[in-house]
Amino acid sequence: MSLPRSFVALLGALLVASGGAAAQGLVMDKSEIRFVSKQMGVNVEGRFRKWKASIVFLPQDLARSKAEVDIDLGSIDLASDESETEIKSPLWFDTRRFPVAHFSSTSIKSVGGDRYEIAGQLTLKGVTRDVVVPMAFKKDASGNNVGEGSFPLHRTDYKIGEGMWADTELVGNDVTVRLRMVLPPPA
Amino acid sequence: MKQSETNARYGAIAIALHWLTALLILANLALGLSMVPLPISPRKLHWYAWHKWVGITVFLLTCLRIAWRGMRPAPPPVAMAEWQRRAARGSHLALYALLLLIPISGWIYSSATGVQVVYLGIIPLPDLVEPDKTLAGVLKAVHVTLNFALATLVCVHTGAALKHHFVDRDTALTRMLPPTWPKGSAPS
Repeated sequence: MSLPRSFVALLGALLVASGGAAAQGLVMDKSEIRFVSKQMGVNVEGRFRKWKASIVFLPQDLARSKAEVDIDLGSIDLASDESETEIKSPLWFDTRRFPVAHFSSTSIKSVGGDRYEIAGQLTLKGVTRDVVVPMAFKKDASGNNVGEGSFPLHRTDYKIGEGMWADTELVGNDVTVRLRMVLPPPA
Repeated sequence: MKQSETNARYGAIAIALHWLTALLILANLALGLSMVPLPISPRKLHWYAWHKWVGITVFLLTCLRIAWRGMRPAPPPVAMAEWQRRAARGSHLALYALLLLIPISGWIYSSATGVQVVYLGIIPLPDLVEPDKTLAGVLKAVHVTLNFALATLVCVHTGAALKHHFVDRDTALTRMLPPTWPKGSAPS
């Protein structure tokens, strides 16, 4: 793992040298935000087609590193038109009133090796809660820095699935969000 | 025709499996037809899950029936015209085939819609295909068509049983009824 680490160090050094906190774009076609929940014992998976992220990742200067992510909730992909229509309705995401979910990091700390913990606030359907996202980074064949991680959330904390859908025996409360953030090599 | 042949009955297990299957497929046809037009709701999710569980149960029962029938062959058919005997054999084979194919088509259809089948909410069955909306549409049509074929054959099967009982007055129906039924009797 010495190569990725030296690359990360170089990337950090370049960014610091160039004045620092320039946000990096992501390699969007390789990055993804997926999630999985349970419905009567069945895993239901999905992803968001449209979202954007602004990432400043400086392993040598984590204090100035940050991540901002905006997710277009209406772009949800559940592989079923009926489910997609339903989940945008007021009982679920209520995308007319709350079209975007937002994550904003508050601190990023190293937990050893290429592993980091990104603490921040997730705002979903008007509810803001603290979350911690563990991410592990590694370099891929084209020199991208690939960060992968997942974190759990409870859908009822964010009022996702109200009224007749509140029963967590039918649609489970636990949702695992999986992230894959691909940072391009330095220009 | 020997007496032992005309009075031959199905065994208790074959009879139990036959009527249990009959009950489950009628219930599942009704459930299947009722659940599709429901607006998306907890009831709809429950009915879809139950429909799949019943379907997989029918599949398992049918495997069991075929294995059982291999070990304890069915009694020889009652006296009837050769074409009727062939028609009966053909429709029985087709019924067995549909009882296996329909649950499998539903299972693949569910896989194609991206919804794994978890039998009784406990046992996950492998997804047979990747999620694919086009394939899902085709499989839905296949599942529905096979079910219409099954419903038609069930009507033919029931009609034939009633015809044997009330017109031919033979034991074709009663030998598939529980043993408490007057043994081997035809209405007189």
